[in-house]
Amino acid sequence: MATHDIFMPALSSTMTEGKIVEWLKKPGDKVERGESVLVVESDKADMDVESFQDGFLASIVMPAGSSAPVGETIGLIVETVDEIAAVQANAPSPSPQSASQEKESSSSQVQEKQVSVDSPKATVIAKASPAPLVSESSVNQAQFLNDGRIVASPRAKKLASQMGVDLATVRGSGPHGRIQAEDVQSAKGQPISVPWIAESNAPAKIASDVPRIEKKSVDSGNPPAPGKSFGSRGETIPFNTLQHAVNRNMEESLNTPCFRVGYSILTDELDLFYKQVKPNGVTMTALLAKAVGLSLARHPQVNAAFSSEGIAYPSQINVAVAVAMEDGGLITPVLQNADKTSLSDLSLQWADLVKRARNKQLEPQEYSSGTFTLSNLGMFGVDRFDAILPPGTGAILAVGASLPKVVASKDGSISIKKQMQVNLTADHRVIYGADGALFLKDLTYLIENNPYSLSS
Amino acid sequence: MPFETALGWQKNFQKSLIEEPFSPQAVWFLEHFSCFTIGTGSDKKNLLFEENKSPIPVFCIKRGGEVTHHMPGQIVGYLVLNLCLHKKDLSWYLRELEQVLIDVLKLLGIEGKRVDGFTGVWCEDKKVGSIGIGCKRWVTQHGFSLNVECDLVGFEKIIPCGLDKVKIGKISDWIPGIKVCDVKPLLRESVKRRFKLNWENI
Repeated sequence: MATHDIFMPALSSTMTEGKIVEWLKKPGDKVERGESVLVVESDKADMDVESFQDGFLASIVMPAGSSAPVGETIGLIVETVDEIAAVQANAPSPSPQSASQEKESSSSQVQEKQVSVDSPKATVIAKASPAPLVSESSVNQAQFLNDGRIVASPRAKKLASQMGVDLATVRGSGPHGRIQAEDVQSAKGQPISVPWIAESNAPAKIASDVPRIEKKSVDSGNPPAPGKSFGSRGETIPFNTLQHAVNRNMEESLNTPCFRVGYSILTDELDLFYKQVKPNGVTMTALLAKAVGLSLARHPQVNAAFSSEGIAYPSQINVAVAVAMEDGGLITPVLQNADKTSLSDLSLQWADLVKRARNKQLEPQEYSSGTFTLSNLGMFGVDRFDAILPPGTGAILAVGASLPKVVASKDGSISIKKQMQVNLTADHRVIYGADGALFLKDLTYLIENNPYSLSS
Repeated sequence: MPFETALGWQKNFQKSLIEEPFSPQAVWFLEHFSCFTIGTGSDKKNLLFEENKSPIPVFCIKRGGEVTHHMPGQIVGYLVLNLCLHKKDLSWYLRELEQVLIDVLKLLGIEGKRVDGFTGVWCEDKKVGSIGIGCKRWVTQHGFSLNVECDLVGFEKIIPCGLDKVKIGKISDWIPGIKVCDVKPLLRESVKRRFKLNWENI
């Protein structure tokens, strides 16, 4: 059953919550893609919110007149008539009470929820083993009782009613014990679907979630997922084809005279912009790829590569993004013409590439036509690293986590801002220190001051 | 200019901008016959009369904000802009509209200002400019109204913008004898500058 959430959109960079003025559709009504479903008001401005798919409005989660934080689920759309009844039977009916419960969770908490649960952001791989979570939580299930006040995300409420889980018996792992969707899943003993390709640029949140879990119960806190290994102790496992290919490339890189140059980028503006475009399905990978693509367009030298005849300037700007494979090895699906492709197209293409990469269905030119590579380990909380240059290209950018830092500005004032460290590895035969530095300076300017231009 | 006519124009331009993002954006500066308009989310309590017994027409329209009043002597500015070409930020847009009015007032030698937490433009303690917009797929409609030399008595029948005790003013309080035709060209230039538009008469 496919249920699509309608989220409270961000109508401006400063908006934290919006008021639902009017639902233009009733539960059960057919909606077409692009059709207005409701009207949201912020300040003196009304905005029509449209459906992003054909289907039926199954449920109104937040009724007209109520307010919801940006990014919160406010309604549900299903694809077929048959699914309406199922969702309606399960979904909590909109009531002033549910509205007020939602209001309690401040928007910052909601943000955290999104970041830690389902925020798609910049790319690489996290493979977490769900097994320990399930068994421990099942042990807790019967023992844990809330103190009567249930604060849960709408998605958690929906899941709970669908799965027949009593929220009063679920321990919330969210901010201030707010019950998240995974808490419901683990209470039911279902494996938590940790996205295999973890996309997040807010890894610090993931790390800090761990200690926040109350330790007084039997559960001693969920340890970070164990590192993966392809073999057991004492064994030697032959390399698979992909690993062989990576090995060859890595060895070849030793013949390239590389240098590194780094930059710290403030990401508060980018994060705000991301919050606004996220409801449209835009991912952080797309944002970073587009930012890099636009900067490369202004710095063609950094998009160039060494060849025996001289400096080769590719006709396109193709941003490859490194993705670790579950069974070992690494692949770099390519976002073609990243400078000229819209954010939503980049997001769609990326989702498709990753899906097919998993199924090993990529055509060679879909992973070997990159002219520049992005590698992101931010979701693991890595603050900085350097990457190895893939042969045939001139540069690769290693992207670390976006973390809160005490930042001194030029006028001497001090504030806390989110900062992300990036580190460019480049082939010095083609790209010189100043080229790399100017490229990073431009990229930084774009991300810090003008993320809105990414949508043009 | 009857209110319904202007509404129809805006709708047509909004529709074509939604379908074709680079089709022309449109701006109108008009005066309306006396009427009240209320937004979708407006509180009817702010109408100090029964809706169906109104002495003048009442229109329910798709914009933010509470009830307001239009009448001859007040310039209404309607902007159908594709914010995708400007900035996809409604707060930014509201502040830019305020700045358009503030810039015009400055040219007239009057200090216009914002009041923190509210949308609109005030001179001293009187509100002279009101703003309310609607937006679909980042294409705007409606805009602002600026009181130039109008009869403000109609405002007594409503709680304008839902702000209790708000005082409404007009430019002729500061510049006696000023006419709508003196202000329109300034507004035209101000809007053009602020949103970097090139006029093409239609």
